[in-house]
Amino acid sequence: MSLSMTRDNIVLRSLEQIGNCGLFLLRMLAAVPRSLRHYRETIRQLWFVGAMSLIIIMVCGLFVGMVLGLQLYDVLSIFGGTSATGTVVAIAIYRELGPVVTALLFAGRAGTSVTAEIGLMRATDQIAAMEMMAVDPIAYVAVPRFLAGVIAMPLLSCVFCALGIFGGHLVGVNWLGIDNGTFWSNMTATVEVGKDVINGVLWKSFVFGIVVSLIAVFQGYTTPPTSEGVAYATTRTVVASSIAILALDFVLTAFLM
Amino acid sequence: MSQRPSYAVGTGLFIVLGFAALGYLATQTTSVVNTSRGPTYTVDAHFANIGQLKVRAPVKVAGVRVGQVQSITLDPGKETADVKLAIDQRYDKIPDDTVATIFTSGLLGDQYVGLQYGSSQKTLAEGGTLALTRPAQQLEEMLGKFFGAGGAADNLAGSYTVKARFTNIGALSAGAPVKMAGVAIGSVQSVRADPVKLDAEVTLSIDKKFNQIPDDSAAAVFTSGLIGTQYVAIQPGGSPDMLKEGDELVLTQSALQIEDLIGKFLVNGSPSDKKPADGDAKH
Repeated sequence: MSLSMTRDNIVLRSLEQIGNCGLFLLRMLAAVPRSLRHYRETIRQLWFVGAMSLIIIMVCGLFVGMVLGLQLYDVLSIFGGTSATGTVVAIAIYRELGPVVTALLFAGRAGTSVTAEIGLMRATDQIAAMEMMAVDPIAYVAVPRFLAGVIAMPLLSCVFCALGIFGGHLVGVNWLGIDNGTFWSNMTATVEVGKDVINGVLWKSFVFGIVVSLIAVFQGYTTPPTSEGVAYATTRTVVASSIAILALDFVLTAFLM
Repeated sequence: MSQRPSYAVGTGLFIVLGFAALGYLATQTTSVVNTSRGPTYTVDAHFANIGQLKVRAPVKVAGVRVGQVQSITLDPGKETADVKLAIDQRYDKIPDDTVATIFTSGLLGDQYVGLQYGSSQKTLAEGGTLALTRPAQQLEEMLGKFFGAGGAADNLAGSYTVKARFTNIGALSAGAPVKMAGVAIGSVQSVRADPVKLDAEVTLSIDKKFNQIPDDSAAAVFTSGLIGTQYVAIQPGGSPDMLKEGDELVLTQSALQIEDLIGKFLVNGSPSDKKPADGDAKH
């Protein structure tokens, strides 16, 4: 009996969580016009979640491209098709690895800090203080961080992809000796702007940006105002974001293909 | 101005870098230029089979892109595809007996329309029709020709078995086709090594329809194409007696190993290289 009760509770609680998250998104969207007055805050958050994530994104992109180049060269040399290395590196990065790995890194680097920051604001009653001063905390705290995440994600994803291609080129051409012209001409002949860059990189990372930012801001905003609550909220941000990214990646791929 | 926050510059830099990366991805690593520009004129071509041809596939003359496929439609009631080709205005001197063929780039690449100019003095007008076309070669058909599987071998109405002995069967396995004149007439039923004669005894199951095979026919293990599967080819002899159930094909030719072949090339190569030297020595 108690088992069925707890299961009931888990189902009900997760439904409640999802419902609250959706309502929170609507509240934030409604608050977007009001938050335009705080555009400086949005820019500050863009600096914080975007520009500060640049180093980790660039380093990871470089290494992902390099390892792809290495592995593909190894496999393709069995078939004598090493000239396709550039093509496969580009397609793999554009369609899957670029947006997904960027989103996972973004959730770990920026999402957690946003959750912890808002959670601590909540725990130290700063949000209550704002409400008392007639400052809408959704428009001043939540929306700028959300918008910054949505804007930063596609840009970070593009940087990741560019560095990934560079890494693949570094390994394939400079170390393993694929012809430079073959590498690029095969890539440009196969990769398409609409299908790979716009659908693959931009759309996916835009959706991931919305999802990751929403989860991070929501978890921080609704955290129980204790230090334990903040810790849990931070963990939940990473777990929920990762699951959402990977599940959505499949759905988006099915739609955009 | 003095209140400008220090992060604003960094944020601007980040945004510029992001868009620069996007521009790099979109222009340097993709084929933006693969769309035709400038005025075009259209001609029709009717194909019996367009294979995998898609709208916007290139149209090429002598391998150079001159236009693209504008539309592919099927006229109701007809069994030919109507393909409209949008060709660059610069290349409007196309003879009216030009042949349009659907080619495949490489072995597995995309398909495109290749134009081979005819010798006619008259050029094709806007909206004209290319009367001479060659349909796409389906890979399945070509593979079917190589492997010859299907048809005859599948619908066996009854079969009889004959044996053949080979000193080397290569990679031949049970189920491989038996062909005569390139057409499948049966399949390999079993392959086993003879413990006494130390060779391979292959049992061939041949369709009853083909019971007029002379009993001095030869059997050979061939390979389809360069890297294809192996099959048994029957080369008919001239004997008046026919093969019967349980007979043995005496004349056989074993599988040629690609290693042997390459070895022969290499070995044949070296003496001919030496010949001029010998000739020089005689003089």
